[in-house]
Amino acid sequence: MSNENITEPVVNDNLSADALDGFEPAATPDTAAASALDFDDDPLSATGVSRKSLVIFFLIDTSGSMKGKKMGELNTVMEELIPEIRRVGEADTEVKVAVLTFSTEVRWMYSTPIAIEDFEWARLRASGVTSMGAAFKELSARMSRNSYLNSPSLSFAPVIFLMTDGYPSDDYREGLKELQSNSWYKFGLKAALGIGEEANDDVLAEFTGSKDTVVHAYSGSQLAQMIKIIAVTSAQIGSKSMTLSDDTGHEIGEEDVFSAKQKLLGQQIQELVSNQVEDTDVPFDTGW
Amino acid sequence: MFSGFSHSVRGASHDRTGLVCQDSSAFKAADHYAVAVVADGHGSKKHFRSHLGSKFAVEATIEAIATYFEDYDNFVANFPKNHKMIIKNIQKQAIFNWNEKVNAHLSENPVTDEEKSKFTEEEFEEIQPESYYGTTLIAGVAAEDFTFGLQIGDGSLVAIFDDGEAIMPMEYNEAAPANVTASMCNSNAAGYFSGFYVENKKLIAMYASTDGLYTSFGSEYDFLDYHTIITSQLSNIENFKNVIINNLTKRSHFGTEDDISLSCVYSTDMIDNHMDIILNKVAENKKRAADRKAALLTKKIDNFE
Repeated sequence: MSNENITEPVVNDNLSADALDGFEPAATPDTAAASALDFDDDPLSATGVSRKSLVIFFLIDTSGSMKGKKMGELNTVMEELIPEIRRVGEADTEVKVAVLTFSTEVRWMYSTPIAIEDFEWARLRASGVTSMGAAFKELSARMSRNSYLNSPSLSFAPVIFLMTDGYPSDDYREGLKELQSNSWYKFGLKAALGIGEEANDDVLAEFTGSKDTVVHAYSGSQLAQMIKIIAVTSAQIGSKSMTLSDDTGHEIGEEDVFSAKQKLLGQQIQELVSNQVEDTDVPFDTGW
Repeated sequence: MFSGFSHSVRGASHDRTGLVCQDSSAFKAADHYAVAVVADGHGSKKHFRSHLGSKFAVEATIEAIATYFEDYDNFVANFPKNHKMIIKNIQKQAIFNWNEKVNAHLSENPVTDEEKSKFTEEEFEEIQPESYYGTTLIAGVAAEDFTFGLQIGDGSLVAIFDDGEAIMPMEYNEAAPANVTASMCNSNAAGYFSGFYVENKKLIAMYASTDGLYTSFGSEYDFLDYHTIITSQLSNIENFKNVIINNLTKRSHFGTEDDISLSCVYSTDMIDNHMDIILNKVAENKKRAADRKAALLTKKIDNFE
């Protein structure tokens, strides 16, 4: 006996409108877990539904030189930024945030990427040296399906945003080499912000792979503007559906698709930066 | 005895754009073996016939596997010793069959002016004809003494053996992160296939699904638990089918908005004899999910400062 069955797709239109009645709205992993306590009606609702998700990694220099106005401004702008990023994801993408700080040591703000709706900024303090290479290594270790990127709903390559005000005090190239072998880094969107005179744009461009995705802030107001521009633009581009097939018909490789996204990010950042109003704020390095 | 079911639902985003369902799914329950197979057509501009490509892929694969099982005694005697080579050959046969179907369809249905109108002449020239039909493929095969699978591109296989634990026997490929997928239409498709083989374990049920299902879950635990819950209802599958279709539809609407396909094969004897293990597993998973929820809350409280 043989039972072969090629299934004709079920088109949603064919289902009665009632079929969707009683469905819960899109659930975050939290509500998904909560629903595990209630699946008497539909056994399958025990496992909640998640939207497509994107992780934004913030790599933040918390070395001693960030002390004072830079760190104060950064804390303030990050607190303000969260609701703005939340809006990016409102349509159909769940944005998750992971924050890695580096000074003498490297530390994660939370032990897992946190959904933006649940994210609360923990104010950072500055002290110690700039272990950027160690941060690159730590990031590389966590950017894996077995670690921070283990959510099935993860549908986009991550956004990685580096902020620093100085030259690395460790062998950053060794860390960067390790990071560059990570596919998530390779396909992710990278952007960097140099804060004040000491930050080295060449080092940052080595990290992002292009000068277009490196910007510089010399004052508190610029810092606020630049962080918002980079974070919001990269979250928008990062959460755009862009698969191998969403091209113009040319046979292109997967790396081309991601470099197209990276290029678009560079263009948009440069455009937005050039449109900023003239800065009248006092530069960070005045009197430092 | 083996039995099975399969369903494909059109994605919510395709409902809006009018794009036909790009997924296909099928199962075959024969006397000594069963196959669950799904395929996800790429569905974008240059893959303008991928809804047919996915249909050809599921047919091609079932035919390829059936060819190998034709001489059943000989096959089961050789397979355990040479499973790597034979799985490779089945993959090649599936690609060959798929190409045959694609070529036959194309020669009977040449590309229309309307299909061409979306490209400049130069753009169109650059597309390989197989690409019109580009699709992924994932298949699980259950036999009496062994279980194996093959896959190209994204999608998932979940197997539940006699210990009741839901597992994903195919390893995730870290070299191909989100939004990048290999395809039957790649010129070196055979090189992109992965596979698995398990012997000496009795299979209760196995599921193949397109990535629209996997990506509608917030955690892999939930994804695996989902399959355990379905397995607990397999003895009552006729009544439960509508629940599954509605749930897949809901997942497409509120999840990734993608097409979703799920195909399942199972041993009716194993279901009858192991239902207590499965039901215990469902209860255990429910408790673990509650524990994870509690742990997540603790993590939030234990924050940076």
